[in-house]
Amino acid sequence: MSAGDKKSKSKKSAARQRAAQGVSLTDALAEAAWAEADAALAQALADFDETQTAEGARARKDALERLGQALSRAARKRGLARLGSLEDELTYDPDAHDLNEAVAKTPKTIRIQARGVTRGGEVLTKPRVGRVSRKKRS
Amino acid sequence: MSDWTLCIDFGTAYSKAAVAPAGAWSRFDPATVRPLMLSPEGQNTFLLDSAVFVDEDRVLFGRVALEEADAQADNKRAALRSFKTLLSVSDLDRALNTNAPTTIDPHRVFQMRDLIVLYLAYLLASVERAIVSDPMLAQGGTFTRRYAAPAWRGGDSAGMHDVIVRLFGEAEAFRAAVGKRILSPDGLSLKTISDALPSATEQAESLEMGLIFEATAAAAYTSVGLEGSGSHMIVVDMGAGTTDIAALARLGPRTIELPEARVTLKQAGDFIDRVIANKVLDAAKWAKRPDARTELWTTLMRQMGDIKEAVMADGRATLRNQGRSVSVALRDVEKDEDFRDFQKSLRQAYDHALAIVRDDARARGRSEVQTIAVGGGASSPFIQDLIRRKMESARPRIVPRPATPDWAHAREFRGNLAPVFPQLAIAIGGALAPDSMLAARGGISPPANDRSDIPVERD
Repeated sequence: MSAGDKKSKSKKSAARQRAAQGVSLTDALAEAAWAEADAALAQALADFDETQTAEGARARKDALERLGQALSRAARKRGLARLGSLEDELTYDPDAHDLNEAVAKTPKTIRIQARGVTRGGEVLTKPRVGRVSRKKRS
Repeated sequence: MSDWTLCIDFGTAYSKAAVAPAGAWSRFDPATVRPLMLSPEGQNTFLLDSAVFVDEDRVLFGRVALEEADAQADNKRAALRSFKTLLSVSDLDRALNTNAPTTIDPHRVFQMRDLIVLYLAYLLASVERAIVSDPMLAQGGTFTRRYAAPAWRGGDSAGMHDVIVRLFGEAEAFRAAVGKRILSPDGLSLKTISDALPSATEQAESLEMGLIFEATAAAAYTSVGLEGSGSHMIVVDMGAGTTDIAALARLGPRTIELPEARVTLKQAGDFIDRVIANKVLDAAKWAKRPDARTELWTTLMRQMGDIKEAVMADGRATLRNQGRSVSVALRDVEKDEDFRDFQKSLRQAYDHALAIVRDDARARGRSEVQTIAVGGGASSPFIQDLIRRKMESARPRIVPRPATPDWAHAREFRGNLAPVFPQLAIAIGGALAPDSMLAARGGISPPANDRSDIPVERD
């Protein structure tokens, strides 16, 4: 059987049906932009399950690493980038940082506990920060 | 009705095309950039698989060709994919007149030239279909056509322009002869091709097409719409097979290449893939037997795009093979002797090109040199470090530009152009560039190695 015969029997793909219906440029860009991110997110969901069912610390650590990897890949495919570096000590700026704890007195210096996320100059999530304890600073 | 500029990026794996209004360079509006939906198959409709498969009684194109080639792989059958590599060989005429190997053409009826013409006809028909289905472009107008190419063979791309436009001309004549049938998932029968191709080849005229170098297209999408952007630019393009460095200078309305700055290194993405794969094989102590190592290598190569991206972006990647996890870190790759040699060569090549472009900028009284990395390896830390490196002398100052320009994040695209921009960048840049940035126009090319002699013309 030639490829032509096989193809004529196959169903029209969803993508081709959408093309026939006249997909807008924005919708097509969105579908293309999400395609690889979708695959990475699917991978992340499976990896997350493995973090729950892993037997032993080593297996759990491996699964967590793969989960982080899949999430990072999904983020990159969506044009997201990290902001700041973990453990960096900076002067606290309430406009630029989310303080991760309730404090009586605003800290002068903070440490980045979780990086922020940006896309094209827009900050989607500020870096989460904590106070620098005296013990750690010394 | 408007006038438009269409640019085709004839890629190794995929072909892409984009359209921009004529004069977009001087009156730039991101919303008017139109990447073309070339392929009705797959989730990314902007990528058209560069593939031709010669079947039992017909020729298939694009995704269908790849699927059929996969299905018949056990019979030593393959699709023709590497058009771009073929077009880059030093003796192009001889390569085009070579018979296709039996794995690609078991009937032994096609020369490589025929298969390229057939694919270009399919590509041109796909472009036409995309234009007709785009509500903005379907309103009509004239379309000026261009194609993007790397600076092949150390600077002779412009000299090959006449051959390429002739191939496009033959493809256009063939497309006119067979009509929309070429877009059918069933492809074209061998009889249809043998009836139409010889006369199309004989009657064809060279198509009116411009040539834009890929580095120039990168300069165009980087600089468009920027008030007072720098006149000089150095482009580091790391693809799969080569890493190319090119320097450009914008002098008034025209852009010239500084040919003495151009360097091509034979190490690029594929080379780094091998370094990473070997590091993983070294780390996978359980894979000692040849069959286990072969199986791991196959898994690695299948996932290498993601693995390499994670190594470069996150500093580490973990993959699973036969129920075990194995990791590779960027620092392991950076310790590799071959990799270090590559980095050294790259740094020397970049420094050589940068010295030339800075000298030129200084001589013309310019204060700034922009640096940009493009291609699959653009985000690699060592490439980013290279283009961001501080110089001992402050002037002209170095201004690194992002691989995805800020305008790709414009609200009109709702965050959806930027993620796919790297794949479409060259086609978009080629469509935005003014005529004065072209390396060749129409069927006429400038003398070889005289690219700075592009006539001045206002956009």
